[in-house]
Amino acid sequence: MSIEEQYRTRAKELLSGGAVKMVIGYGKGTTANRRRPLFISSPDEVERLVLDDVCITNLSGYLVSEGLLSDEKRVAVFLRPEGIRAINILAAESQLDADQIVIFGFDVNGNEVQALKGIHVEEFADVIGSIKEAAPEAAEEELFEKIEKMSPQERFSFWQEEFAKCIKCYACRQACPMCYCRRCIVDSNQPQWVNTSSHTLGNFEWNIVRAFHLSGRCVECGNCDRACPVNIPLRLINHRMAEEVLGAFDHFSGMSKTQEPVLASFKKDDSETFIL
Amino acid sequence: MSETFEPKIIAFVCTYCTYAGADLAGTSRLKYAPNVRIIRLPCTGRISPMFILKALQKGADGVLISGCHPGDCHFTHGNYHARRRWMVFRALLDFIGIPPERVKYSWISAAEGVKFAEFINSVTEDIRTLGPFEQYSQLIEQTQAPASL
Repeated sequence: MSIEEQYRTRAKELLSGGAVKMVIGYGKGTTANRRRPLFISSPDEVERLVLDDVCITNLSGYLVSEGLLSDEKRVAVFLRPEGIRAINILAAESQLDADQIVIFGFDVNGNEVQALKGIHVEEFADVIGSIKEAAPEAAEEELFEKIEKMSPQERFSFWQEEFAKCIKCYACRQACPMCYCRRCIVDSNQPQWVNTSSHTLGNFEWNIVRAFHLSGRCVECGNCDRACPVNIPLRLINHRMAEEVLGAFDHFSGMSKTQEPVLASFKKDDSETFIL
Repeated sequence: MSETFEPKIIAFVCTYCTYAGADLAGTSRLKYAPNVRIIRLPCTGRISPMFILKALQKGADGVLISGCHPGDCHFTHGNYHARRRWMVFRALLDFIGIPPERVKYSWISAAEGVKFAEFINSVTEDIRTLGPFEQYSQLIEQTQAPASL
């Protein structure tokens, strides 16, 4: 039985037994290589679930939708390892109760979909540990290294060109499971930290703030990057930040549901070589 | 322009240590560069990275941030939190192309009036050598230009 079939059967069991009130998974998209989020709450609908190698969106963000989990009922969700890490972070930041989440874990290796064993986040600790060990590279490693080697002026020009394209649609924010603030800093206007018009200066500030707020929290699922209508390589900035917190504080985001957020904790012997 | 470039520098300092240190520099009649505008805050933990961006947005050529030495914080650990934040923010600015030389961090206690004066002088000299932050001021100018379609 394929994994798709297995998971459909499991979803059917869970929904008909009332163990979960909803299953969040993937359904057919508008074209053959696209999948869209699917929310099903009746066991008759499980046939609409699809699971294959193009199921890439991180669905964990839907779990923090207002009111979804407030009735304390369980919700099942299809997640790749990054999504599972995202659940850990959301739980660590008290945004959800991890016990309410039933995980349908899977990973894609080449074109092959593999099931990940487990139901609750704790059971995936080994999977997450091995990702940390493997030290994942940036999505576009070549470009990343090229940027690292540039002089500050060249880097500024590179990003200036990229950010000039930004239209401040905030799709990156909407797609990100970590951007759950009810009131984002760019929506606040007293004081107005970031300019609302989409000129390059404001775009710089918006993208700096976005990356900073995701430092030590981003799981590099790539939702922001794929959502960007003008293809700014946002993942590269997030990757640089992940590298920084790993190197400086040995912090790998989403290791466990009790992990302390890196910028809300400290050690007395943190590095401070740059402070005069 | 033959005039020497006078950099505009904004300093965000904590009231309990560095501001008192600046006060000591003043009462000790130490001379230091007049290029720095000091903004006093309750603690380095209160210095949001947004402040640094705002200073640059308003045309600062450099930004200084200074507070109590580790262990001396009036609120016991505000500066420890700040230190982590700076570490990450510094890497971010560098990756985006804002040179780390323009944003400097230091610990200056209430007893270090001399260190304060020297710090201000050295940073002002460094930024004068770097020159105006032209790449950024171009962006600022763009925001003031009339909209074009």
